[in-house]
Amino acid sequence: MITVQDLHKTFSLTKHQRKELHTDARTATAVANLSFTCKPGRIFSLLGPNGAGKTTTLRMLATLITPTSGQITINGINALEHPQEARKHIGFLTGSTGLYARLTPLEIIDYFADLYKVESKDKEARKKYLFDLLNMNDFLHQRIGKLSTGMKQKVSICRTMIHDPSVIIFDEPTSGLDVITAENIIQLIRSCKEQDKTVIFSSHIMSEVDLLCDDLAIVHKGALKYHDTMDSFRTNMGSNNLTEEFIRIVQSPTA
Amino acid sequence: MIYRIFRKELLDTLRDRRTLMTMLVIPILVFPITLNIFMEISSSFQESAGDKTMKIGIVGDNTRNYTKQLEAIPASVGPKTMEVFKDSLTLRKAIEKDQIQLGLIIPANEKQLVAQQQTIDLNWLLDASEVGRSERAELYSSSLKANAEAKRLQALKLRPEQIRPVIINTINCASDKKMVGQLAGGFLPYIFIAFGFIGCMYPAIDLFTGEKERGTIETLLTVPVLRWKILFGKMMVVVSSGMLAASCALLGLFISIEFLDLADNQELLEVIHSILTPKFILSMLALLLPLVIFFAGLMIPIAIYAKSFKEAQSIITPLNIVVVLPAMVGFFPGITLDITTVFIPVVNVVLATKALIAGTLSLTYFLSVLGMMCTLATLAILVSQKQFGKETNLLL
Repeated sequence: MITVQDLHKTFSLTKHQRKELHTDARTATAVANLSFTCKPGRIFSLLGPNGAGKTTTLRMLATLITPTSGQITINGINALEHPQEARKHIGFLTGSTGLYARLTPLEIIDYFADLYKVESKDKEARKKYLFDLLNMNDFLHQRIGKLSTGMKQKVSICRTMIHDPSVIIFDEPTSGLDVITAENIIQLIRSCKEQDKTVIFSSHIMSEVDLLCDDLAIVHKGALKYHDTMDSFRTNMGSNNLTEEFIRIVQSPTA
Repeated sequence: MIYRIFRKELLDTLRDRRTLMTMLVIPILVFPITLNIFMEISSSFQESAGDKTMKIGIVGDNTRNYTKQLEAIPASVGPKTMEVFKDSLTLRKAIEKDQIQLGLIIPANEKQLVAQQQTIDLNWLLDASEVGRSERAELYSSSLKANAEAKRLQALKLRPEQIRPVIINTINCASDKKMVGQLAGGFLPYIFIAFGFIGCMYPAIDLFTGEKERGTIETLLTVPVLRWKILFGKMMVVVSSGMLAASCALLGLFISIEFLDLADNQELLEVIHSILTPKFILSMLALLLPLVIFFAGLMIPIAIYAKSFKEAQSIITPLNIVVVLPAMVGFFPGITLDITTVFIPVVNVVLATKALIAGTLSLTYFLSVLGMMCTLATLAILVSQKQFGKETNLLL
């Protein structure tokens, strides 16, 4: 379960950034007063155009960066006061995630299992389960640098799931992937829902959101424009299709 | 957990060919290769200069006498031919065209000066930029001088002792170890410091900037491990790499001396053996360790701040010059460890190592340098920790 209350994030702008953005402001607001809840067994989608503040929000949820103000609780743990404790419950996967090219999948999975302090007995069982599930056994001992994009994506998924997290955060997970590789991610998100895990994923592709999500939040310029269930979104649509409705909401002056 | 991160980062680093080259291969090979090349070139120059036939041009009064004297000098000094010239101008031109290598100018009134028992000025004309010519002229001069002195003493019916009432000798009280320390003591710490720095450079960039560039830092920072532990695990690899590079340079030097016979002088070899004791090596590594931590602490904040490998490299490479230049202080005679130099980083380690080689390093100075460098290393770690804690530095 993820609960977000009045989440706010501002960044200080360097001289160079002010020049680039043609602004005199010394700070930029990436996220403004965002509040929502992601429930277990449901898939929550954070939808928004590029630069809407999706990645910043998810990075705050993953405790990578600290909010300027607001509250985040992960499975009842205050993530700002106890980030180490919260991290034990989180699995984080982004579309731009890299892997250590000089290591093998087995070495990477062992490393992250150790970092998450997975007990040795559980580690072996978990590895076997994931390797079989993702069909990874044939390339476990090959260096990451020599693997295909699809194989690397499987390793990333395995790394995210090795500690059996109950909250999974996906930041544009299918970005830059071909259809077949993206399908692995779609399957993973569905399987997480079946296992009653809390899933939040960000995207700017409406079709992907339509395919997967149960609850939806639309953000634009850091602010929440829409927050309801996907069923409600479909029912109350004022446009002909989902993409048009998404654009209409983003461009509307108020939520 | 720090050890787990260290193990993974070390494995990753040891699989990087570029790091392996700067950490192991180059430091081990640098001494054998450079010393071998230096010795080969030096001996080939000496041999060729010694074997070369020198054409000696003679001009002036009584040339027959001097030609005889020069002919009498054994060929073992070097082969020679002689030619008498009419005037010094023609002789000078022949030397400039390298038709003649050495020119001897005898005064026009040489016989008269001998008869009057006056001093005779003999002048050598030579091109001093050519290897071996000055040395050969020196050898011939000493022979001519000895002959002239013997004849003069005979004419005066004197024994040499009668005109040489005093012979003043200088006796060097410094131990051979101290002499080696003074002569080579500046060179060794320079090499170790340079390799300590270079050894840290690639792992520092790879483990921090590289991790940002490859997009692996994001996932690493979501694990339930405190950031300072991640930093320490990585920093340990950077420091180990620097220490390994410096140690490999020492190993390379040892290989050069022991197995490649590059120091063929038995006395020098004994002195080197007496310097390279386990105590010396441990003391030197003890001085080097905080210095390498200091280097790592300088590089890591830069590597954390930089957005690309290229950017990090472009900042750290000039830093190399800033750090290595003070290490050259060891080459200058007269600069020693004192109450001022003990507080100058890099310089203090160079001077302490120099004194360590010479066997003159006091425990007080050793501990002062160690204390100073440990303080700086701690500060460098704190700066790195602060930089590693900044979220704007870690995420692109």
